[in-house]
Amino acid sequence: MSTAVNVPLRYRVPWKKIVLYVLAAGFALYLVLPFYWIVAMSFMHEVDAISVPPHWVPTHPTLENYLGFVRPNAAQELVGGRAVSETPYSLRNSLVVATATAVLNLALATFAAYSFSRLKFRGSQVLLVLYLLTRMVPGIAIIIPFYLLMRSFGLLDTYLALILSYTTFALPITIWILKDFFRSVPRELEEAARVDRCGWFRTMWTVFLPVAAPGLVAAAVFAFMTAWNEFMFALFLTSTKAAKTIPVVAANFATDFNTQFTVMAAAGVLAVVPPLVLALLFQRKLVQGMAAGSVKG
Amino acid sequence: MAALTGFAERRPLGDNAKAWALNAPAMVVIALLVAYPIGYSFYVSLQKNNLKRPRAKRFIGFDNYTSLLSDHAFVNALKVSALFVVVVLGLTVVLALILALVLNERFRGRGLLLSLALLPWAMPGVVNGLMWRTIFDAKTGALNGLLQQLGLIDSYHAWLTSGTGAFLFTALAQVWNTLPFSVIILLAGLSTIPAELYDAATVDRAGAWRRFTEVTVPWLLHPLLIVLILETMNAFRAFDTIYVLTGGGPGDATTTIALLDVQTVLTFTDFGLGSAYAWVITAITLLISVAYIGLLYRKGNFEV
Repeated sequence: MSTAVNVPLRYRVPWKKIVLYVLAAGFALYLVLPFYWIVAMSFMHEVDAISVPPHWVPTHPTLENYLGFVRPNAAQELVGGRAVSETPYSLRNSLVVATATAVLNLALATFAAYSFSRLKFRGSQVLLVLYLLTRMVPGIAIIIPFYLLMRSFGLLDTYLALILSYTTFALPITIWILKDFFRSVPRELEEAARVDRCGWFRTMWTVFLPVAAPGLVAAAVFAFMTAWNEFMFALFLTSTKAAKTIPVVAANFATDFNTQFTVMAAAGVLAVVPPLVLALLFQRKLVQGMAAGSVKG
Repeated sequence: MAALTGFAERRPLGDNAKAWALNAPAMVVIALLVAYPIGYSFYVSLQKNNLKRPRAKRFIGFDNYTSLLSDHAFVNALKVSALFVVVVLGLTVVLALILALVLNERFRGRGLLLSLALLPWAMPGVVNGLMWRTIFDAKTGALNGLLQQLGLIDSYHAWLTSGTGAFLFTALAQVWNTLPFSVIILLAGLSTIPAELYDAATVDRAGAWRRFTEVTVPWLLHPLLIVLILETMNAFRAFDTIYVLTGGGPGDATTTIALLDVQTVLTFTDFGLGSAYAWVITAITLLISVAYIGLLYRKGNFEV
């Protein structure tokens, strides 16, 4: 960096560089080591994982912990068997719920976000603040009436109950993210389409949305991750493998004292892979969205 | 600023109606699934309402609320939550600020570090709890193993058995999980600082520390406040990680208000009292969010 204006001829210790690299390395270890540990453990045999002193790398790597989920053996039936056998179902449930939440969110939020990015209308400020306030409502404040409501509709332990609740979490933030992305789409495109006598819906469908696609994908990823990671509502609203999501089953591993750490680690790794892959794939857009949702207001 | 171009344009008559029509679907969903439940939860909080004793259900006015004052579990949970917020917030802000400053520099591996910083953010709270459980474990944990191999401890410790230990380690686990969000917000704030300011400061022969306090900090004040508010709210509602890591124990050392509420409702099925707890949480959160929105307004960040 060109900070030194008059560099003396004698050699100067690059303190800034040294501090920078030491800090960067320290943070890298802090961020990655805890995660590395459960990944490593998930490929170990139980004896290696709980040995003292610990084996830091799987010396006899095994896939047993993962394979156990698809074909639970007799031993696992005894120790923490239920959580093990429920894991594949819960992964499927999470996938369905999170995908449906993302799609529903996108459908609802696209219209609202478009109005904020293109139309001047009375009450738009108030409405935006209202959406933001909804995002601030703590889940716990609505969980009891939500539970009672779903119970009276007979929706407990169904996908629909989860999808509806996650939509309310994700919708406000989706609208905020999309409105910012939409503003960056040049208006000239729509005007050109209008000159070509395209109707509004056709303009949206064939011109506007394809251009805004990266923003739509980012918003969908946000909603997907919100739904995939959510725990408290799933804990209340689900009770069997018909709808239990992966966080609920993963938590069962923790409350079961017989659980093998290696199997628990494998379940944890499975639960973190989808959101992690999405986060890495859409890194730049997500970072933009996070910043847009808060700093820019 | 893009909104300004709107003035120059022809404004068709139907903009108002069109905009509200476009917002209608989202508004209906939010009204049905947020506004209505919130109102309903207030109604439930005025009832004696235990799922296991449906016959005893009746309207009792504010009795659930007045009982909170002498409710030992509630007062303790509020204290735990408040302390949890202070510890988590303090650690998060300091760590996030340093990491954001590091990421704001140019160096080899910066992109990699940024990707790594997203890792805790992608991790579900429950898995975060599981992960730290295996690390803090008293008999086989990685923390014990590491500290012993480094010669820092002689024998394995049970980190989570004392109240203070459990509280501090739970806070550490929470910090790891929530750090990325603050880092991203601060980094976005840092990137808006004009480079000329630093150049000018350097010409004035300001040292690194003075450049930090006189250029960086004033520009970062706004994002820092946002981080403070949002992370306060997050820490105040913290649930997933604590539930898995300690379950609120030992005793009630890590029973935050959210945990107490869930226990009251799920274990004791006391929906009336649980709703009263929930309303106290909502009221406190609402105060914080009003501060947040006021802050955004003052900065003129609402560009509608």
